[in-house]
Amino acid sequence: MLDALKYRLGKLVEPLVLLLPAGVWLLLLLVVPTLMILELSLLPDFRLGQAPPDYGLGNYLKIFEPIYLLVIFRSVFFAVICTLLCLLLGFPVAYWIALMAPDRWRNLLLLGFVLPLWTSSLLRSYAWITILRPTGVLNSTLGAIGLPPIEILNTQVSVVLGLAYNFLPYMVLILYASLEKLDRRLLEAAADLGAPPPQVFMKVTVPQSLPGIAAGSLLVFITSLGDFVVPELLGGASSMTMARLIYNQFLGASRNWGFGSGLSMLLILAVSAAIALLLKYGDRKAETF
Amino acid sequence: MSKRGFYSRPLSRLSTSRRRFLQLSSAAMTGAVLTNCARNIGGSTSTDGTPAASGSGDNTLHIYSWSVYVDDEMLADFEEKTGIQVIADIYDSNETMLAKLQAGGGGQYGVIYPSDYMLEQMIEMEMLLAIDKEQVPDLADLLPQWQSPPYDPGNEYSIPYTWGTTGLVYNAAELGEELTDWDYLWDNRQELSRKMTLLNDVREVMGFTLKMLGFSNSTENPQEIEAAFEMLKELKPSLSAFTTDGWRDRIIPGDILIAHAYSVDALDVIAENSDLDYIVPASGATVWTDGIAIPKTAPNVEAAYAWMNYVLDPESASAVVSRLRLATPNEKTFDMLPSELKEDKRLFPTDAVLAKCEALANVGDSIDLYDRLWTQLTSA
Repeated sequence: MLDALKYRLGKLVEPLVLLLPAGVWLLLLLVVPTLMILELSLLPDFRLGQAPPDYGLGNYLKIFEPIYLLVIFRSVFFAVICTLLCLLLGFPVAYWIALMAPDRWRNLLLLGFVLPLWTSSLLRSYAWITILRPTGVLNSTLGAIGLPPIEILNTQVSVVLGLAYNFLPYMVLILYASLEKLDRRLLEAAADLGAPPPQVFMKVTVPQSLPGIAAGSLLVFITSLGDFVVPELLGGASSMTMARLIYNQFLGASRNWGFGSGLSMLLILAVSAAIALLLKYGDRKAETF
Repeated sequence: MSKRGFYSRPLSRLSTSRRRFLQLSSAAMTGAVLTNCARNIGGSTSTDGTPAASGSGDNTLHIYSWSVYVDDEMLADFEEKTGIQVIADIYDSNETMLAKLQAGGGGQYGVIYPSDYMLEQMIEMEMLLAIDKEQVPDLADLLPQWQSPPYDPGNEYSIPYTWGTTGLVYNAAELGEELTDWDYLWDNRQELSRKMTLLNDVREVMGFTLKMLGFSNSTENPQEIEAAFEMLKELKPSLSAFTTDGWRDRIIPGDILIAHAYSVDALDVIAENSDLDYIVPASGATVWTDGIAIPKTAPNVEAAYAWMNYVLDPESASAVVSRLRLATPNEKTFDMLPSELKEDKRLFPTDAVLAKCEALANVGDSIDLYDRLWTQLTSA
């Protein structure tokens, strides 16, 4: 009797003990700060050091003004292009490593892809400046083989390049994890039944790796949407993104913490919505197999 | 809005994001990759590399400073002379410093180094301790212009430490002529397309355009602000970027030819490349000042005064300003500078030029208009 009770109690306490540290961590460092941002976002044009205004939706309404919508649109545009580019570049690589590369090389190849992540994204962006600047590596190479120089530093092109370079390793890792689990018997079966390779790829490989594609794309989209360093360093005179806009509200001359929090909430909501979509549809796609 | 009458001849400075490189580095190097903004802003209120130890006994002084104003040698020398141990934290923008103090995370600091416009705001918000002038003997040595600076009349709450201007650094060898005024950028924007950068700072950029148009750089008149915006819209397609530090690596190899820059950074780069030169344009520019102040919350005021006396001492101050190529507001310090610095008109512009220059003053609610136009300019 007592033993049974002990067992039951144990069953109850065990998960609590296991989850408590992470739970407290998340509560203090994620939930509470997010709630603080939420509160700030409901104080229209609140500046630190001023008397707080009445609660209202002013900050959120302000977001819908054309100039701010343009900034949001640009951030989304960068993120979408970056995601597509990562997918296009990353899928063949992940496919090759997972299915075709010799076993003993596999870990080394993956390591090679992850290695750049061990340096700071700031350094990697500076490296791109060195490559792309008018008298940089790219243009001196072009000049040496008799081609005219191209100027892409401080344009939208350089921002997309920098973003895609920064986030490609994540895409490759996630796609690799998904492709590695690919059921090869299905590929063989399809081939046996007379499907030409392109058809096997489109009808068997891609559907099986869809959860990986979704997860990788979403991760790249989310991180590039809020990236600060790359647009800041590689962007030109018209490259204001959401990250910079939010930065300006908090630490720029206007110090409009209320509006900054409203923009931050929008970013948090967008990211949350994306993750919710992934949880819902990412799994269902996986279940169809 | 506390506009003061004697703003007609002001001398000061704004730099929301000078030393951005440091800021970016410290954030990114410590692994805090700035991907999630909300989280980043929360964290970057203390981008200092060395979190201050909590022990603030009687013989400890915490100072919160721009990185350039403290070094290990100074700290060791000060400790030897006074027995006070100094723990220095570094900030990279005035706003970061303000945010930390306002959020209550700066209670340990005895000395801070706000720039002029930030001093004005902090005085307004009653965050600074009134200076006990008995304890700081050097005030009489200040040059006349700094005896009663507009951001802090009578130096009630701060002591001016260094100053400089915001002008244009340019490749004189490549351009083959001497620049004189801001309108050069507009007149030559075709030839200089994508060879120019401006600071990534709304007030500095709008400010110089306003000066060029003959207005105050801190105007609150919407028509004047809009006029400056229209001018900048014409110039923008020819700009390479708005950047506060990025121009440095690009002007040396000749990737860009003109950069809008703080004198301190410009003179630093000129020392590396003698093709470059710096001017304070004829229509006037921003004059900025970094002051030294004591927050109201300072736990160890005695030690703070000891530090002030130490760094304001002409010998120590002249070493700092000549190393950093900053101008000094203190006559005795000025006298101790090597003559090539004293006579350098890029460092100490003539009185006639200075008379046209102006500090960036707070613009009250007009900052919303500035910020909106800035967003429009940098995103459209």
